[in-house]
Formats: sequence, structure tokens, C-alpha cells
Amino acid sequence: MAIQAQLFITCLAEQFFPGVLQGMVGLLERLGVQVAFPEEQTCCGQPFFNSGYQTEARELARKWLETFGRTHGFIVSPSGSCVDMVCHHYPHLFPPGTPEHRLAEETAARTFELTQFLVRQLKMTDVGARFPHKVTYHASCHLLRGLGVREEPKALLQNVRGLELVPLSTEETCCGFGGTFSVIYPEVSQAMMEAKVQSIEATGAEVVVACDAGCLMNIAGGLRKANSTVKAMHLIDVLTADRGTP
Amino acid sequence: MSQTTAPIDFRANAQRIPPKMAASVQKATAKFLGNRAALVEALGNDLWQTLRQAGHDLRLHAITHLDHYLEQAERAVTAAGGHVHWAPDAAEANRIVLTIARRHGVKKVVKSKSMATEETGLNHAMEAEGIQVIETDLGEYIVQLLGVGPAHIVVPAFHLSKEEIADLFREKLGVVADAEAERLTQVARVKLREEFLTAGLGISGGNFLIAETGTVVTVTNEGNGRMCTTIPPVHVAIVGIDKVVPDWESLTVLLKLLARSATGQKITCYTSFISGPPRSPSETGPREFHLVLLDNGRSRILGSPETRETLLCIRCGACLNICPVFNTVGGYTYGYPISGPTGMLFASQILGMQAAGGLPFASTLCGACNDICPVKIPITDILLHLRHRVVEGDEQEGAVAPAILRAGAKAGSVALRTPWLYRLGSTMLKWLQAPLARDGWISTLPPPLNRWTMARPFPAFAPDFRGWWRSRGRGRQP
Amino acid sequence: MDPAREEILAKVRASLDRGPDSPAPPVPPMARVGPRSAGSVDAEIALLFSEIENLNGNVRRLAGREDLKSALAKLVKVEAVKKATLWTTADLATWDVAGTLKALGVEIVSPQADKHLVAECELGVTGVDAALPETGSLLLRSSPERPRVVSLLPGVHLAILTRAALRADLHQVFAEAKDAGYCVLVTGPSCTSDIELTLTLGVHGPKSLYVWLLEAG
Repeated sequence: MAIQAQLFITCLAEQFFPGVLQGMVGLLERLGVQVAFPEEQTCCGQPFFNSGYQTEARELARKWLETFGRTHGFIVSPSGSCVDMVCHHYPHLFPPGTPEHRLAEETAARTFELTQFLVRQLKMTDVGARFPHKVTYHASCHLLRGLGVREEPKALLQNVRGLELVPLSTEETCCGFGGTFSVIYPEVSQAMMEAKVQSIEATGAEVVVACDAGCLMNIAGGLRKANSTVKAMHLIDVLTADRGTP
Repeated sequence: MSQTTAPIDFRANAQRIPPKMAASVQKATAKFLGNRAALVEALGNDLWQTLRQAGHDLRLHAITHLDHYLEQAERAVTAAGGHVHWAPDAAEANRIVLTIARRHGVKKVVKSKSMATEETGLNHAMEAEGIQVIETDLGEYIVQLLGVGPAHIVVPAFHLSKEEIADLFREKLGVVADAEAERLTQVARVKLREEFLTAGLGISGGNFLIAETGTVVTVTNEGNGRMCTTIPPVHVAIVGIDKVVPDWESLTVLLKLLARSATGQKITCYTSFISGPPRSPSETGPREFHLVLLDNGRSRILGSPETRETLLCIRCGACLNICPVFNTVGGYTYGYPISGPTGMLFASQILGMQAAGGLPFASTLCGACNDICPVKIPITDILLHLRHRVVEGDEQEGAVAPAILRAGAKAGSVALRTPWLYRLGSTMLKWLQAPLARDGWISTLPPPLNRWTMARPFPAFAPDFRGWWRSRGRGRQP
Repeated sequence: MDPAREEILAKVRASLDRGPDSPAPPVPPMARVGPRSAGSVDAEIALLFSEIENLNGNVRRLAGREDLKSALAKLVKVEAVKKATLWTTADLATWDVAGTLKALGVEIVSPQADKHLVAECELGVTGVDAALPETGSLLLRSSPERPRVVSLLPGVHLAILTRAALRADLHQVFAEAKDAGYCVLVTGPSCTSDIELTLTLGVHGPKSLYVWLLEAG
């Protein structure tokens, strides 16, 4: 029986990165995964939780669990921070021992960020991609530290034909997005973003890759503001730019 | 709640930092982080993680049995001939120290570095009574001459150049010296030596308080800790009640963690262990020893299970060094003697959310601090709970966020969990911003989102996935 | 009854849901880290010395009393010592350090004298109660024979130890030190990086640290 994956598209990717989502569907199907899309999904509630609105976050968590809790198979998302929300914070929103807590734990156990899913579940690091460009990688904080995903994205990039991966000296430094931080403390966020952009430009890379819509919005905007020729892309864009056989 | 304080405006403070601050901060933190990394690697990551867990467990054990250990420490100090005082708040702590000073007719005090006394404002309280207080840690001495607080808990004056320090010494001390670190250190040594020898009272903090023997532990590199606790005839140690450790064994773990995490040293030059006054009259040292146990909100923090691990902090400063926000703004932005991640936790809980409710939000939650903390404080989890306290309130404090924000969040969450409303909103936003978008970007948005666009453009809305999915063919859905 | 004391203890207990008779369990075993096995004595001495040298201390091995005498003569010259103050422990007396210094023209100042006089000494001589090779640390206790000022006020601190002082780790050092009313772990000369992160020595404590191992006294 084919592996089943439920798409957890995330509110930010849905509004701003439809190409990434389409690419993810195509990629997973090409790898033999049966993809489903629970249409009732909206937002995991992370912006509310991170802003302290746990009551509202709990309602959104309930809705999310209602939507995904009744599905089967893996739940796969292109965003590390949203998966971190589900895996690490959802269980704590409900008292231990309650059915909701149990549902949260069970559903979290099968929820993965895409690179986690590809490398650890499908055991694939080569998806037959081709992208002959100089690329550098920015490690999104929640993906890196929340989910412990450090090597998987780079392993995938390293197997892309023609791709030259150059190290980013500030790879593990926060880009300054931080969700509402970017609008509560805009000057600080801007300074952090500018430092990240400078560091990216110093690598000489043509493309900076990240696995999180929030980071990409911030970094892409920063690169544009700096009139940079460097493009910010989601890892999925790189993996699907030129389809080859896996 | 503690003393009424003017609200800390992190944003306004951040807007006012001098241009070269970020570069100075990063130079200092890079050095400490590099030295730390080398020592951790030499020790081996496995052993380091074991030490961190051990440090966490013993500190948590200490604070969750704090009453027992405080009483044990008190008994030991008293048995050794020392005096123990209990200070429920900052004002009391200052009053206790002033009383001791007055009783001895003290005119001059020498102080080794103590964040607790910065917290209580002891220096100001003493100076208001005509007592001269001299900070003896070199960095603290420098910022004291300048009339400001410390910019970093470990290196208070890191942001100043040697030229600025030379100018300062010329202006405030009347001493002309080359702008060279060795020379300037010598100036301070000579000046402060005289102060040590003539002060009537020495005040120290305490890095740890060993309950087993009532021992105050001070960790310094300069020797000023030893001076303040040896030369003047009276020694007062002010120690937060959170500094308690059960026994000497605990320090075999904590001392391995502290200096490595703070400055990248295996151990500092001087680790002093002070258990009361000298045991015999022919032993040199102070004639009187006083221990002031400071609460000032720590017992309240203890009562919040989600945030009590705040009190595990051993004040190493590693979280400051790794924090990308701290590295952008420096210590003064936080408006509190302890800055950076641990400072946000302390300030917002000691001062309360009316005064410091903006601080828990001054973080991107990147989590680098969690990984570097030598005693594994779950800093970002605590920040998340503190944010919840600000906007929703909890058992400790009522919400302080304006009601309109709560209403907005509620409305937003209703919209978001109602799929048709969510999709409608998404489509509407796409139409509304279409005229503003150029090339897939919007360069200016109306307030409050102009706070985003002042720094970088906003991407155009393109919620096209659902339409694409449906158009692929319904038959393909399982 | 101190009301402030009762107030704080009551608040702490309320926060922890504990009463005055609540139990105090032992520190959890997870919170302990094991002892270190010491290498051979020579390896330990080599380690101790290399750690101290890395911290800008000066180390020396002395075969016996004659060696000590000539080393002291050299030190007095190099550091231009005119006055010295010493511990009055049995060891230092047996080695006749004060006698040797006097013969070299150095004035011996009692550590019990006025602090200003002690501060004028260029040299302070102590023994070592315990030495910790893994960090190059020296434990100095305080007692009537071990005045604290000797290792603190003069610009030069000379610490003379024998093999008997070597300890494998902090567990051992602390087991012995915990009953001392005051002790200090000295690791290298006084230093700071407070000015532009540049390392400078001799801030308040001694600028120079000499550590000599005396093999046969």
C-alpha cells in the first residue's frame, strides 16, 4: 500500500507561496506518495500562541486536530515552525489524561516537516533534482532547534545535480522575523534582517534556501530592499526546478 | 508587586542605541563564545550535556526545597558567628545595610560586583545618606565613574574604548595615563587599592550560597571579591535567596559550568568560600560578617510552576552572548541590570508586567539561549508563558494588554477557525492589495503593518493553491 | 521572632506547597558527576604546571633546600623585593623561608601588622593546602597561621607546595575544605578583560604568581 500523506499547507504558505505548495504535491507524488488535502484546514494557531493568546490558540488547535485527527497516514508540512507548534505545544494546551491531550499526542507523532519526512521517513536524500547554481542555506530556528532538523535539508541540497552549496557564516543565526516580533520591535527586526542579508551576499551565492515561509518573507523582502541579485527560495522550489528521475 | 517603576520601553530604548554598540557587543560576545566552544569541545559534548543536566537537576532541587536550605544556611552562618538578615524587598535590603553602616560610622564602602545590589539600588540609597560607595570590579568602576549601569553582567564596560576610559580617568580621577589597557588597569589598581585599605565596610554579592555550611561563594578574576571580603572590618554579603545550593558537592558541577559558560575559562582566578567571620581573633579578616538574604519577588516566581525555572540562573551571561537580539541592541536596551534572555525573565517577573510587560516580547523565540544555558532553563517556554500572562493574565497577575488587542485576537481566531470565513478573508485580501502590488511586492502598507514595510516590502497575496488543487481533478482525491 | 524571616519563609512555603515540617529529600543522584582518576604523580605535576603556565603563572621544581635558597635569591632580584610577608605555618618555618629572605636583605613584615604596611610588601609567601592539576588551582585556607592578606596584597605571590598537596579533583578538595571558615581557590595571577577585552594582569590581586614544588624539604 502506498504511503499516504495529508498536506498541512500552513496559512502563510497558502497566502504567499502557492508555487511551493504545488511543487510539494508534485514532488511527493513523484516519489510514490499518495497525497490528500483536508480542505477544512486553516491555521495551526502559532501566531496566537506565540503572542500569548493561549485561549485562542487552543480553539485553533482544536479545529486543527478535528481536521487532521480524523485522517490517516503522515501529515506533512513545508514549514518547520508550524510542525513545531503541533508537536511541542499542542499537547501542553490540553490537560494530561484528557481525550484532547491524547489526540494531540497521537496526531503530533505522525506530523512532519517535509525534509524530516523525506529523509527520516522515506529514507531519501536524492530526489533526482537538478539546479546548477551556487546556493547557500539559512537554517530556520524552529526547524533547527525546535525539531532538531540540522542536516536533512543540506543532505537534500548536496544531492541536487549541478548545485554548489556554499556555507553561510550566519546559517544558524535568527533572521529577525520572529512572527509578531517583526512588527512589535521593527527596528531590531530590521537590523537583524539586514545582518542576515549582508551575510548572504558575502557568500557569493545566487540563491539562499530556507524551509519556512516566515523566514522567506523576511529574507526575500530584505534582499529586494537591498536591490540584491540573490534570490530567496524554498527548498521545494530547488528540488522541483528541473524534474529528473529519482 | 515590587516598587513602582517607570515602564521599560524596549522599542524606544532600541531606537536610541549609539551606532557602534552592535559592533562592540558582537566583538565581546564572539570572544566569549569562541573560548567557551573550545572548552566545551575539549571536555567533550557528552560530558558537557551530563553536566548541564546535573546542574539543572541540583538547582531545581535546591529551589524546590528552598525553605529547608535557607534555614540550614542560616543555622550554619549563625553557628559560625555571623549575622543573618532577611530582606523581603529591595527597600528592606537597603535599610538593613544602611543600619549596619551607620552603626559602624561607615563613611566609605567598597563593593565587589553584585547584581542583587543593582536590583535594589543600594548604591543610591547609601549615597543619599552621605556614604561613598565605590564599585571595585574594574568594569563596574568604569561605568560607575561614567554614571551609568552595566552593559553586560560579566563585562560591564565592554562597549567603551580604551581612549574613552583614559579620558574618563583624566576627567574623574585627575590621572593622566596612556590609552592602553595595561596602563589603565594599573591606574585603577593603585586608586582602588587605597579605597580597599581605608573603607569601613566591604559589600559583596554571592554567586552561590552553600546551605550545608552557610558558605557564600564569590567568583572573580580580579581579586576585588577577596579584597572586599577581607580588608574592611565589616563584610556584608547580599545574596538572592535563589542562589542557594545544597552542598559543596553541588559546586563540583556548577563551577565546571559557570566560568566556561561565562568567559570561556575553566575556572576564574579566585573562587572564595566565606563561612562567617574569622573563627579566631588572631586570624586576619573582617570582625563582623552579615548575610542579607534577598527575596524581592523571588518567592513569588517560585509559586509559578511554568516560570520558576527562571530561578535556576547562575548568572553566567551565556544567553546574552548567543542572543541575536542582545547582539543587536546591547544591554542598556533592557532597562534592567540583568539583560538579555535571563534579564527578560527576571525583570518582567520582579518588576511585574505593568512595568516590564514589553520585555517577554523582545525575543524572536529563536531558542539559541535554551541550548547554551548551562543549567538548561527552558527560556523560550518561560517567555511564552510570560506573554500569556501579559495578554490573558494568570494566577500571578491580571492581563495588562489593552482590551482592544484581546478583542482583535479573539475576532482573528474566530475568523481563522471558520473555514469559509478564512477563505473569504484570504480572497478579499488578494483583491484589496492587488492595486498596491508591483512585481509580486507591496512597498507600503497602512498602519500597523507599516511597521513591516518600513524595513522591507511585503509579498503580494496569492492564495491560489485551493483553486489549483480542485482544478487538478476531484477524482484524484482518495 | 524576625517578622521578615517569617514572611519570606511563609511565602516560599506557600509557593512550593510545603509546610515547616515538609521533608527534605537528598540531592538526586542524577545531579552528581563522578570523580576523576588521577594519573601518575609526575603526570599530575606536569599537568598542574602546564595549566598554571597557560595562565601566565611561573612554575618551578626544586630538588631541596639549597635549590630553594638560590631560587629565592633569584626571585628577590627579579622582582626587586625589599619587603615580604609570610604564612607562619610549620612548613614554611621548617624550610626557613623567612630566614633565607632576611639573609638576602629583605625586611620581613608580620601579616598581622597594619594593612598599609602589609600592602607595601612586594612579596607574599604561602604554602598550599591542596593543589588541583586539572585547572592549575591552589586551595589556600585561612587561619591564624595562614593570613589571607599574604596571598592577596603583595604584587608577587609565591606559593610553595609539596607532592602531598596534590588532589585528583574538586570532590577531594571540597571534602577537606568545607570545614574551613574561609578558603580560596587561586588559579593564576589576578586578571581582567574588562577594557576592550584585552587581558591584563594584576588588577587587585597579585600581578605575578610563582608556584614552586619542593621535592625534599
